[in-house]
Amino acid sequence: MQLRIKLGREARGALAKDRTSGDAVSQTMTRYIIRRLLWGVLLLIVVAALLFLMFRYLPTADPAKLRAGRLQSPQIIAEIRHTYGLDKSLPAQFWLYMKNLFLHFNLGYSYYSNAPVKELLFNRLPATLSLVFGGAIVWVITGLSVGIISARRAGSRLDRASMSSALVLVSAPEYWLGLIVLYLFAADIGRVHIFPGAGSYVGLTYDPVKWFESLILPWLVVAAGSAAIYARLIRGSLIETMGEDYIRTARAKGLPERTVVLRHGVRAAINPVVTVLGVDIGVLLGSSVLVETVFNIPGIGRLNYIAITHADFPIVQGTVLFAALVIIVANIIVDIAYAYLDPRVRYS
Amino acid sequence: MRSLRTIVLTALAAALTVALAACGSSKKSTGASASSGTPAGVINPATESLTGGKRGGVLNDVQSEDFEHLDPGVAYFQLDYEIGSATQRNLYSYKPNTFSEVTPDMAEGPPQLSNGNKTITIKIRKGVHFSPPVNREVTAADEVYAIDRVADPNVANPYYLGYLASVEGMKSSKGGPIPGVKALDKYTLQLKLTEPQGPIVVGSMVLPYTAPVPEEYAKKFDAKKPSEYVNYMVATGPYMLKANSAGKILGIGYQPGKSLTLVRNPNWNASTDFRPAYLDQINVSIGGDSNVIGRQVLEGSHMTQSDAPAAPILKLAAQQHPSQLLISAGGGAGDRYIAVNNSDGPFRNVNLRKALWAATDREALDKLRGGKLVSDVMTHFLWNGIAGFEEAGGYPGPKVDYNEHPQGDMAVAEKYMKLAGYPSGKYTGSETLQVVGDSSAPANNVAEAVNQTLKSLGFKTKLNLVEHTVMYSKYCGVVSEKIDVCPNVGWIPDFGDPQAVLDVPFNGNLIVKNGTNSNWGLVNHAKINAAMEAASKVVGVQARGEAWAKIDRELVEEAVVVPYQWAKEPYIKSKDVVGVGQFWNAGTWDYAYTSLK
Repeated sequence: MQLRIKLGREARGALAKDRTSGDAVSQTMTRYIIRRLLWGVLLLIVVAALLFLMFRYLPTADPAKLRAGRLQSPQIIAEIRHTYGLDKSLPAQFWLYMKNLFLHFNLGYSYYSNAPVKELLFNRLPATLSLVFGGAIVWVITGLSVGIISARRAGSRLDRASMSSALVLVSAPEYWLGLIVLYLFAADIGRVHIFPGAGSYVGLTYDPVKWFESLILPWLVVAAGSAAIYARLIRGSLIETMGEDYIRTARAKGLPERTVVLRHGVRAAINPVVTVLGVDIGVLLGSSVLVETVFNIPGIGRLNYIAITHADFPIVQGTVLFAALVIIVANIIVDIAYAYLDPRVRYS
Repeated sequence: MRSLRTIVLTALAAALTVALAACGSSKKSTGASASSGTPAGVINPATESLTGGKRGGVLNDVQSEDFEHLDPGVAYFQLDYEIGSATQRNLYSYKPNTFSEVTPDMAEGPPQLSNGNKTITIKIRKGVHFSPPVNREVTAADEVYAIDRVADPNVANPYYLGYLASVEGMKSSKGGPIPGVKALDKYTLQLKLTEPQGPIVVGSMVLPYTAPVPEEYAKKFDAKKPSEYVNYMVATGPYMLKANSAGKILGIGYQPGKSLTLVRNPNWNASTDFRPAYLDQINVSIGGDSNVIGRQVLEGSHMTQSDAPAAPILKLAAQQHPSQLLISAGGGAGDRYIAVNNSDGPFRNVNLRKALWAATDREALDKLRGGKLVSDVMTHFLWNGIAGFEEAGGYPGPKVDYNEHPQGDMAVAEKYMKLAGYPSGKYTGSETLQVVGDSSAPANNVAEAVNQTLKSLGFKTKLNLVEHTVMYSKYCGVVSEKIDVCPNVGWIPDFGDPQAVLDVPFNGNLIVKNGTNSNWGLVNHAKINAAMEAASKVVGVQARGEAWAKIDRELVEEAVVVPYQWAKEPYIKSKDVVGVGQFWNAGTWDYAYTSLK
């Protein structure tokens, strides 16, 4: 009884100690997250400033002259310059730009359609999110599956075939791959009419079934290259991990091989994949222009591309800033996830 | 400003003259000749039938490019005109198969000029109504507001001072009311001018700024900087952009870079319009890869493509589906030439200019841009469908030795190099020529080829390839930059008149030094300038054609630039579409005339 009481006290003490330790970790993590968020905001300001300066100092066309058309007069150009605030001093323009951006989340207006850039971005966001996250799910599942199987059967024919295929897919440009799958499988111009082709994208809320069908080919194309990279990444990492002492210990304890691989091996081997996944998703959200163009998906990448061809700077600035924001946020999420996944990682 | 106004005066006087005399014009002067290299069975917008379409159906149009400015007060781009011609009614308009004959549209008939051409009176057509949510009948006051708003900096019309500077109070106006623009009564519009330039102002009324705008509805949108009327604009034509009950278009009927939807204007009265408006709806999908959307159009149903198809698609269409291909040769299509600096540097010497002309393989340059399907080798300056084209030499062009070998002839080039004072046949001067070209394909390839030709003549060059808009606004359009050679410039006139083709790019009196110059060769020859001044006053299509054809020949004699391409614009459609192209608008599909089988 005494012993039981003693053990109970010891357990409570340990629990309290753990709680204290847990609180400390939690506080450290909170401080870390806040610090990362502040750095993120600072980075965003720097990116915005660089973008602003780039569009003013690099040899670009004068937006006022572009907007004015061919039969131009100095008066018209001056009036347009005034309307768009381009006649203000550079610091004044910069202050106005930053104030609008950070206080009102106003990214300006398109020089051509006069549409608010913020509205255009939000209008395009669902299409890009659909493309990128759907593609990411496909490439993660495919990449991990192929990588794990290859790692477990390293050197086999299956492994060699998988890795060779991965090499081919990594080398295939998305644009080319997109055209090939359309010419093969699109319902309108394909040789075998299976999937809806280019221009078939509809919003998820409009028709979920059509939304899903229209994205099958784009998802496969987006996923192809990344899945191949992830397969090679997880294969290498898992082969290395499976040689660790704790894996041998797990096996010695009599755990089933499936548990050893998935619970002990993959959990440790997946860290590099998680690191690149966040960044990849972030990059793709801002630069999915090729797949969006080939499949005629009205996303942010294509918005950016058309704006570049028209020298529509407010849109270009808006989309680049958006891409920067996504990449910064993705990096922060990855870092936090990394800490939770790998207890060895400690932030001070 | 003087120079800009002169541009407009001359261009519009010419346009008006053509318009008024169009009924009696001869095919020799204004009709479209057969272009070389166009396959049999291809649609020619200059000779197409405008009647007999079947009513109903939905057309699905695809285009890689987006629109620029749909507001009729700003529109100044081919794709914008395509939408404007189906949704808006200007005071005067072109039917699809002409670039010279003007038809009264929002106007009831021809304008009345009085007070020594200083007063213009136009009767407005009755029974035309605005689309929802305005719904009411169009009156002269709506034309007054449409003209007033072009001077509004929030609207920023790109050409109004050039065309309307003589209207009383226009120059000092910031958006109206303009004293010289009045509605005398419900259906009578009157413009008073400070100078006798009535014909010129009337000529400009084919431009979209004359589409009526309801002040009580549009004013609050025009008060925004910039105007937001484009996102709420109403229609007077057979179609309107799809809108919500408040009239909002943005995000509904037009999603920039994404889609545009035209539906029937419920308030359109067919008895007031010459457009047949067969289709029930037009869905425009913006974006996509040209190779993919081209195949979708050729193999699909009820589809058209409104921008030029990709080269492989064009080839496929020409070889296997010629009846689905439209090629517009001349008319509202433009030209391309190598601008050489006539005012500064080595090319002040006419014989050096002739040597470059002779040495240039113009067929090769055309091949770089797509070959005979999309271009004819340019042999002089007026083109097919413009008065004076045949008189100036037609397709073969003037018979001068430096023009007779479109593949280039180095022996002829050497002859002119020697005449220029270089006995070896090669340039031996110390200057390095500044060559500025367009960095995007295929123009960059043309620039590289021209650069090689210059080197083959012994010139030292510095080639600078920049983005297309930068090429014009930072280099070739800036007189002070003193660029020697601009190999990628070209011209599209606003009106189907020889003066509109030749005046601005080659009249030395129109060189402007504000960084927006369009005389890229800085062509400034007193004799030619004087001839242009005289020709601008000539009346009558045939006489004007002959007068400007003479100037064309003088431009060739002076070899002011090296012409290499008369552009032909190709468009494709599905086999079950009866496509009608706009000859005046570079051949783009006319939604108000196109129908489905």
